[in-house]
Amino acid sequence: MVYLELFWSFMKIGFTSFGGMSMIPLILEEMQSHQWMTAEDLANLVAIAEMTPGPLGVNCATFAGTQTAGVLGGIVAVLGVLMPAFTLTLLVAIFYTRFRKSEVMAEIMSWVRPICIAMILAVILTLGKENYFTDGKSDWIAVGIGVAMLYLIMKRKWTVPKVIGSSAVLGIVLYTLSGLV
Amino acid sequence: MSSALLEWSQEVVIEIMGEERMKTGLILLAFFFKIGCFTFGGGWSILAQMEQEFVNKKKWITKEELLDLVAVGKSVPGIMITNIGMLFGYQMAGWFGGVCAVIGIVLPSVLILSVITFGYDVVKNNYWCHCALEGIQAAVVPIIGSAALSLGKEVFRSRKGQVICLAVFLLCMITDISNVALVILGVIAAFLGRGVKRHGIS
Repeated sequence: MVYLELFWSFMKIGFTSFGGMSMIPLILEEMQSHQWMTAEDLANLVAIAEMTPGPLGVNCATFAGTQTAGVLGGIVAVLGVLMPAFTLTLLVAIFYTRFRKSEVMAEIMSWVRPICIAMILAVILTLGKENYFTDGKSDWIAVGIGVAMLYLIMKRKWTVPKVIGSSAVLGIVLYTLSGLV
Repeated sequence: MSSALLEWSQEVVIEIMGEERMKTGLILLAFFFKIGCFTFGGGWSILAQMEQEFVNKKKWITKEELLDLVAVGKSVPGIMITNIGMLFGYQMAGWFGGVCAVIGIVLPSVLILSVITFGYDVVKNNYWCHCALEGIQAAVVPIIGSAALSLGKEVFRSRKGQVICLAVFLLCMITDISNVALVILGVIAAFLGRGVKRHGIS
């Protein structure tokens, strides 16, 4: 039963990973052992997942499921990868909602909040290195778009959809122009 | 026929959940669908979007509460943004709200990917897609960065927050310690801190 196998595989992937690129080795192992995908397919998929919105895990599940067993396969695989959210996180949500006003939780969060900010700052640094530098050279078009968007978000209070849309347009226009020169 | 079925299922949900929760759940589904359409850059831009929608516009939660949700969501196995959706949805409208938020957030990527699966060579090597993506990637850092600054305002106000943040940031830079380990360390530190306060060490 291919649907059950898809569900089970992606449920395992969901429960044993913490999202993002950390899922890749697990996904590769499952895909190869079932012969659903080759390493090259997966590399292509990662490239596509970066171009499309949404979590990598969901994108992989949709792609592998659809390729293996059609649209229903895709749905089943996505439900599998979402099982941690529907079970474990639901339990955590019940627990957290009940205790979030407690004194102990306030103390814990006074530690965890700055940790969370630090993690985000670290992510920003990594992403900045990737997005603004290519082969050791700084990509001035990307830097320009970044600075413009920073201004629009901070000073003009632009919303995320607006920012994403206009930076896509800017990307097409500026990179095409620089290619012509 | 199908509209009768829809009405009937609506009645069933109202019967089980109560009208208020069902309404909230559907609102969450719509909101998270919108958020799901624009989560580029590893999902962290969900922070900026939730801040704009739920903290600034709707005033459903505060900045601190959003940061707490992110910390908890990051520490549970699975995909961070679906975990955050579940935690937030549950707070707003019980388990139905949580499920609605999760489905809303993944629906755009499922729809887009199912289409792309059938013609992905075209997209992969398309020059325009490539340029647009470069542009979007350049915007991801300001999106996440502005959210981090805004959410961190409260944290940076206290000396304790500044010290913890700086220490953890350096730790992230030097080692490749996992985020979960960091949060667990924080929880342990909090309990140790409480113990010290209560019993005193001097």
